[in-house]
Amino acid sequence: MLPTKERLILELLVSEGPMFGLQLVERSGGALKRGTVYVTLGRMESKGFVESEQETPDPGAIGLPRRIYRPTALGERMLRAWATFTREVAWEVKP
Amino acid sequence: MTPGTWLLKFAPLVFNERFIEIVVRPTIADLQSEVAAAGSNHVKRVRARCRGYAAFWTLMLVAPFASWSEERANVASGLAAGSVIVTLLTVVALGLWTALVAAGATLVALLLHTWYERHPSEIAVPPVAWRSPQINFSSTDIAGNIGGLIFVVGSVLIVSLALPSIFWFLLTGGIAACFVAWGLAAWHTRARKADWTCAERPPRLLL
Repeated sequence: MLPTKERLILELLVSEGPMFGLQLVERSGGALKRGTVYVTLGRMESKGFVESEQETPDPGAIGLPRRIYRPTALGERMLRAWATFTREVAWEVKP
Repeated sequence: MTPGTWLLKFAPLVFNERFIEIVVRPTIADLQSEVAAAGSNHVKRVRARCRGYAAFWTLMLVAPFASWSEERANVASGLAAGSVIVTLLTVVALGLWTALVAAGATLVALLLHTWYERHPSEIAVPPVAWRSPQINFSSTDIAGNIGGLIFVVGSVLIVSLALPSIFWFLLTGGIAACFVAWGLAAWHTRARKADWTCAERPPRLLL
């Protein structure tokens, strides 16, 4: 079972490449919220679906470095498997 | 001061280290990068701050459900965070007035408890262990002294605040109860003098 938000994040990361959390929120069209996106990403990281690293801060930049997220091989495989599963189920239940 | 600095200082009080590293720091980093990207435009900076702070306080609500965050904050921190969340939820869901009334009721409960600690009185013990599981004020045993009076008046006030439509009923009932109490006190006094119902029972001190 792949929750909707996790599937959306994996789709965005696979199709558009590594992104910051805020970029994911902006690209999701309102499906992801800034207050909860990192909780979802943290859960996905603990499952092994995504990995993250801190950005290299620009010289003279003020503030904390952001985290950039990318899908793991397991995450990409999970997304493909889930897509296949939903397609098969949709075909099975098609009248 | 860089926005989010005090949030970073506050976070260790309520979140564990892993949650701070994976969730809180990126959230604050987004806040800071958005404020920096807003440049000198005051309105954009204020909006960026509001969005960032709202995201941080949302974390307060969702953090207890982040089960992947293995280690837990200590009990005091959890209690503090729970109190903040309950207060915020009460204010948001029920309004400031209800939150104040709840805080006032808690204070009255503490005062009553302190009073009974200092003035232990003869609280009746129920004769049987089983009690009907219903909410019934008439089965609540209270002492016939000033502590009991505070309890009764406080209860009536709380109920009248919660249900203003029955205020007049409560007022009329309170006045009638005073007359009944006066009649009972007079009857007991006369009976004690006659010495046929309350024989050798010492008079109860009011204070």
